[in-house]
Parts: sequence; structure tokens; C-alpha cells
Amino acid sequence: MIEISDKERKLLRELQNDFKLEARPFKRIALELGLSEDEVLEIIRKFQNNGIIRRIGVAIRPEKAGHKANAMVTWVVPEERVEEVCKSMSARSEISHCYDRDCPPGWLGNVFTMIHGCDEENLLKIMSELTELTGIKPHQIFRTVRELKKTSMRYFTEEESR
Amino acid sequence: MDEKDREIIRMLQDSFPLSPEPYRVIGDKLWIDEMGVISRIARMVQNGTIRHVGPFFDSRKLGYMGALVAMDVPLERVDEVAAVVSGFSEITHNYLRDGSPNLWFTLIARGKERRDCILQEIRTKTGIPEIKVFPSRRLFKVKVDLD
Repeated sequence: MIEISDKERKLLRELQNDFKLEARPFKRIALELGLSEDEVLEIIRKFQNNGIIRRIGVAIRPEKAGHKANAMVTWVVPEERVEEVCKSMSARSEISHCYDRDCPPGWLGNVFTMIHGCDEENLLKIMSELTELTGIKPHQIFRTVRELKKTSMRYFTEEESR
Repeated sequence: MDEKDREIIRMLQDSFPLSPEPYRVIGDKLWIDEMGVISRIARMVQNGTIRHVGPFFDSRKLGYMGALVAMDVPLERVDEVAAVVSGFSEITHNYLRDGSPNLWFTLIARGKERRDCILQEIRTKTGIPEIKVFPSRRLFKVKVDLD
């Protein structure tokens, strides 16, 4: 875990809100926290460099981008092939999430992917292309029935800060 | 969503400009003025196409542990159980899926103790003892693309 100063932690809390849609969004943050705009940008770059920030940009809702058939698909991938298989799966734009996970005893599918197709036929086509690409068949398919909650994680919120 | 909107999203997906006037930087590249960029993003936020504009954090680097969690819930109890599960701020995504198990949610907790504590509370409140936990070993991709 990376050490974070009080100033950085304060900024980190603020950065979990959406950027303001105005000409100088970083200046706005700076004013709220009593920092300079340069300082804010510098700390954000530092967070990017040490990996605390994975990326900066927008997140879109798959269903709004025209994806109607969404499924979580698991794959049984031997440890020595995880890196290669996950990298080639991740290169596909139809795959939004790809994780290798520890599994409870008796559970075989260790690689979890979220696949987005424009319809059911397209979803099946993507899966068969992935099988062609990797030589591995989908293990289990869990189609999305209903979204019950979707939020962004709030780190270091006031109530849990020590 | 028109072609300019798509171009803005594509550009913003990977690299939000770290410049004092980020929307002007985007506009200069796409031949749109700064206000045009801002109003297009604002419209896409308002109609739900964009759900977040800003940084995405690596929870592990911040000392948090991420896991996918699954339970089997009888269909007639889904709303009630989902309300218990979704009540935790550490549970950020929760989906009903076909197949078994059918309720899948993500849990980001500060340490294993907190995770176990949340799972125990869910067991107690729902009376469903069997919960499957899939801690993340390695993240390869999180990114919803266009097209």
C-alpha cells in the first residue's frame, strides 16, 4: 500500500466526485481545498504514476451504447495460460471486464468476463470467436437479467476515516 | 448520440487532458469550441450515457480488497435480499443474472475482516447461509467501449 499525505487524501476524496463541466475544473477543486491549480494537477499526475489512479476519463453505460445482450461468462483457464488468454480477450472491445479470480472449492471457472453484444445472436458469435481465438470454451454463462445497483466506490469517506 | 459525441467519448475514455483547460484541449482536437464540448458532455451525463467523468482508482493500491460475491436467491425474494445487499456502501454493483447462483455483486472492503463482517451480516439478515466469494487475483480490463 502506498503512503498518502493528508493533503493528498483530501484531494483523493474530492476527486471521487465528477469533474465539474466548466472551463477550469481543476481550479475549482483547488479553490475548494485551498491548494493551487498546479498543485492539484501535480498530485493527480503523481497518482497516475504510482498507479493509485488507473485512468482518467469517462465511464459509459453499456446499454446506452447499444448493447442489449450482456452476460458474465466464466472460463476455465489453466494458470500458465491466464496472462495470454486474458490479454487477448481484453483486446476485444465487446469485453468490458476481465478478471482472474480465486474461487471457492468445486468452482472451476477462474476467468470472469463481461461480454456485451447488440443482441443474443451477436453475443453467441462473440463467444465462439473467443473460443476460436483461445481454444477455450465458455464454462458458464450468466446473462444479465436486471441491474439492481450500480455506483462508484467511495474511498476514505469521512465516517470510516480514523 | 452523433459522431462528434462518439469522438468525444473515444477521446475521453483513455486520456482526459491534465491541463488547466481540459475541455478546450479536447475541442481543439475535434474542431469544436470549448462550450460545445462541455454542453455535449453535459447532455450525455444527463441522459445517462456517461455515468462518471473523472479518475478511476485502483482499489488495491488504496489498501482495499475487491471481490465478486454470489448468492442463490429464490426469485420471489430478490427485491428484499437485494435491498439488504445494496444497503452497504462497499457493495457498488449488484446484478440479477440467469443461472445459479443468480445474485452477483461486487464488494470492495478495507481488509478481509471488514469483508467477512459484511458477509456475515448479509447471512444473518437474509437467512441465506451459502455465499460464494471470488477475490480478485488479477485485473486485466475494466472499460466499456463504444461500438
